[in-house]
Amino acid sequence: MPIRLLAPEVASQIAAGEVVERPASVVKELVENALDASAKNIQVIVQDAGRRLIEVADDGSGIPAEELPLAVERHATSKLASAADLFRVATLGFRGEALASIGSVSRLTLTSRVKEAPTGARIRVEGGRPGAVEVVGAPVGTVVRVEDLFYNVPARLKFLKQDVTERRAIDNLLARYALAYPHVRFRLTDGKTVSLQTTGDGDRRAILAALYGVEVAKEMLEVLAEEDDLVLNGYISPAALTRSNRREMTLFINGRWVADTALTQAILQAYHTLLMVGRYPLTALFLQIEPEEVDVNVHPAKAEVRFRNQDRVFSFVQRSVRRALLAYSPVPTLPQPQNLWRSVHSVPSVENNPLPGGALPAAGLDWTIGHDSRVEPEAHIGPVLATTPETVASSPFPARASLVSLPLLRLIGQIGATYLIAEGPDGLYLIDQHAAHERILFEKLMAQHAQQRIPAQSLLTPVVVTLPPAGAAVIADQLPVLSRFGFEVEPFGPNSFQIRAMPVLFGNADPAAALRALVEDFEEDETPLQTEIEARVAARVCKRLAVKAGQVLTPEEQRALLTDLENCESPRTCPHGRPTMIHLSVELLERQFGRKGAR
Amino acid sequence: MKVTVLQENLARGLSIVSRAVSPRSTLPVLANVLIATDEGRLRLSATNLEMGITCWIGAKIEEEGSTTVPARTFADLVSTLPDAQVSLTLDPRTQTLNVRSGSSTNDIKGIDAQEFPPLPVPDFDQAIQINVADFKEMVHQVAFAASTDEARPVLMGVLVKVDGETITMAAADGFRLSVRTATLSSPAARPVSAIIPARALSELARIASDGDHPIQMVLPKGRGQVVFRVKDAELVSQLIDGTFPDYEQIIPRSYKSRTLVSTASLLKACKQAEIFAREGSNAVRMNIRGSGDLQPGEVEISAHSEETGSNETIVDATVDGVPLLIAFNVKFLREVLEVIKTPHVALETTAPNAPGVIKPVGEDNFLHVIMPMHLSQ
Repeated sequence: MPIRLLAPEVASQIAAGEVVERPASVVKELVENALDASAKNIQVIVQDAGRRLIEVADDGSGIPAEELPLAVERHATSKLASAADLFRVATLGFRGEALASIGSVSRLTLTSRVKEAPTGARIRVEGGRPGAVEVVGAPVGTVVRVEDLFYNVPARLKFLKQDVTERRAIDNLLARYALAYPHVRFRLTDGKTVSLQTTGDGDRRAILAALYGVEVAKEMLEVLAEEDDLVLNGYISPAALTRSNRREMTLFINGRWVADTALTQAILQAYHTLLMVGRYPLTALFLQIEPEEVDVNVHPAKAEVRFRNQDRVFSFVQRSVRRALLAYSPVPTLPQPQNLWRSVHSVPSVENNPLPGGALPAAGLDWTIGHDSRVEPEAHIGPVLATTPETVASSPFPARASLVSLPLLRLIGQIGATYLIAEGPDGLYLIDQHAAHERILFEKLMAQHAQQRIPAQSLLTPVVVTLPPAGAAVIADQLPVLSRFGFEVEPFGPNSFQIRAMPVLFGNADPAAALRALVEDFEEDETPLQTEIEARVAARVCKRLAVKAGQVLTPEEQRALLTDLENCESPRTCPHGRPTMIHLSVELLERQFGRKGAR
Repeated sequence: MKVTVLQENLARGLSIVSRAVSPRSTLPVLANVLIATDEGRLRLSATNLEMGITCWIGAKIEEEGSTTVPARTFADLVSTLPDAQVSLTLDPRTQTLNVRSGSSTNDIKGIDAQEFPPLPVPDFDQAIQINVADFKEMVHQVAFAASTDEARPVLMGVLVKVDGETITMAAADGFRLSVRTATLSSPAARPVSAIIPARALSELARIASDGDHPIQMVLPKGRGQVVFRVKDAELVSQLIDGTFPDYEQIIPRSYKSRTLVSTASLLKACKQAEIFAREGSNAVRMNIRGSGDLQPGEVEISAHSEETGSNETIVDATVDGVPLLIAFNVKFLREVLEVIKTPHVALETTAPNAPGVIKPVGEDNFLHVIMPMHLSQ
């Protein structure tokens, strides 16, 4: 078969495949256009899960009649003038592909009026071929009607999922954009019923309720943190509220929904030791960063981004989420959430503000998240519950107690020689004595470990390890500080190192494996060897030290256990991530006993 | 097969071979013990494919034959039989072994002996003869230093070298090295060097009973195996492939100070220090202070734990050389002191980051090298 140039229609259909793969991606492109046009009202009509009709109407700036034919051309955009602009993209769109792509796989009608024009204009595109511009009456703004999506791409049509699935994708998408733009009024209908409507008054928690339901929305914790040019806000679920997959972890960067795996990892790390294995939190986080600091031109659908300074963003997100998580308090109702949380400034980054006491600025990362006392006095901790404003205000260094999520508990007794029952201001607590004791001992021992250097054991014969180039580069960078972690390592040819001593905590293990574990810690920006230390301590605590289920405790012992638990940093889970306690709120009890109408 | 044996002999034989049984294996026959008549005696064998043990016991044989039965079931049963004669009768058609003793009758389902992996039958003509007592002590003093980490198989073995009249065993786990030599009663025909799994040697030391019979060792050519014969038993083991670290290079040739202490006092001090050290990193400090004109030398052993507290013990010593502060893993110290029989030991040191050497005083057939720890840089 001879080689020939593809017909323009075919070429544009192929290109469309990258941007438009399902109805939800059409909605996404069109809603992003509307947002870029600074619309305050966005109406979406979707029929037959978008197969028949997708209509997005906005009250944004509109497109002048004479530019309409150009608007539906490929690589035509108003958002970008030169290649240099690519490096500081402030709008959601910039590739100039959306309308052309959608037009090539559907029957598209674009109606628009700018404020200055007396009438609107309309252009129809069918299968990629634009028609003539006609004059019509229209309100200010733009209406894009996409009919019979994929009518000319039967293959694509065949691969669409069930209507329910495609609908849910659109619902989810719009709800997330609504969350990201709480000041824009969104409305999603199928022509008859309204499935999402927001007020545009900036109340995110109401939108959360639309997305996850009222119960979940009530429990979500607010994150508010700022550091230099980075701002993170949004909501995360408390450790007790989890899903079995990461699908509910939503992240917006500069108003754009992205699927950045590194930052997802940062969020998960913030939950470290708080979640059971295989459970993931629900998050809706919005990160603001200077446009120059982030490259969005990585993926046609813009789902992936790159940061100029990945480590800094990673560490900022992790710290902010962790802090919000530790400040968790199970207040049963939050009538006006905005007033309960104080806006805060987060910890200054380590490099910019060297801490007193010679803290190491090694990799530019704050390594010591959970068990660290060093960072906290520097921080204006937050969000802090404003229920104790006096204590917070009187001291520039909030006492650790203000971080503690447990209220004062009154001991009632022990049942089954396994659980403690206690009363708090907001209901009943059932506490697993073994898990609670594990958490107490774990934090105590970890605090002791934090003060110790890691001793090194010399090797009988040096062991030579060859690492992959990336790992070797990491070790080469860190050579001067390796001795802090009990390693004595020298370069030994390209990508090779000679290990003369290794940390004692690896026991009898292979020194090469130990060095590889260290490389992984560095690569994943974890506190080096923290995992090994934690695992050792947790195992010891669990096997040998903690009280077991079935052990009768005297009232004094029970009371001491409660007091110690109150002083823990993360008292709600044991080091393996299992819950230490179950909370039955007064409200729940009232509902269960039929005192208040069951919802 | 129809044989009669004494319960006592059968129970002892089973306890010897059962150490080679592989209780969890995808090959069911490896969980069994082979029972076979063999030139007027009863042969019991078990193997996990890495190591095999065979034991012969006296029996009255009425009819030849062989089978395999589950080791655990058979051993548990035999140990509960009354101390009397036990008769074993095999129904070859169903491979069921009838075990009868006194008023007790049992049928154990077996697997055909054909399925049992054959164990080598080597020629012991050229065997190296080792005195049982020497062998046991060598293994005792060396095998504990072998590694248990499967990532480095070579270090899980003991290097056994025979050259003329000298036999040497060496084991190392990456942090310490134990070397023991002994003299053979008769020189070996040709030099031997093999890495034998530490576990196999320890098993052999367990089953070898003291007596006039020496241990015979042969390495059949090209099979990668070693076979030992003791009085009524044989043990065969796979050799470990690989190159053992050049241990001669590791042993320091000189020292800057030599400290003589009582073995028992130092061991006691180490055991005390370990109580505190074990919660942390197992590190103990040894502060070696020289002997002056009027005052004797001493070694201060101390351990410190953030959690438990600290410990300090002073042991009198004769120090020849410079004072030194050095840290060791206390487990390593204790384990070597526990296998030294002489009343005094010598510790030879050079620097805090150089290996320490421990030797029994008055015997020059054993030495142990321990690498130090660094507590702070």
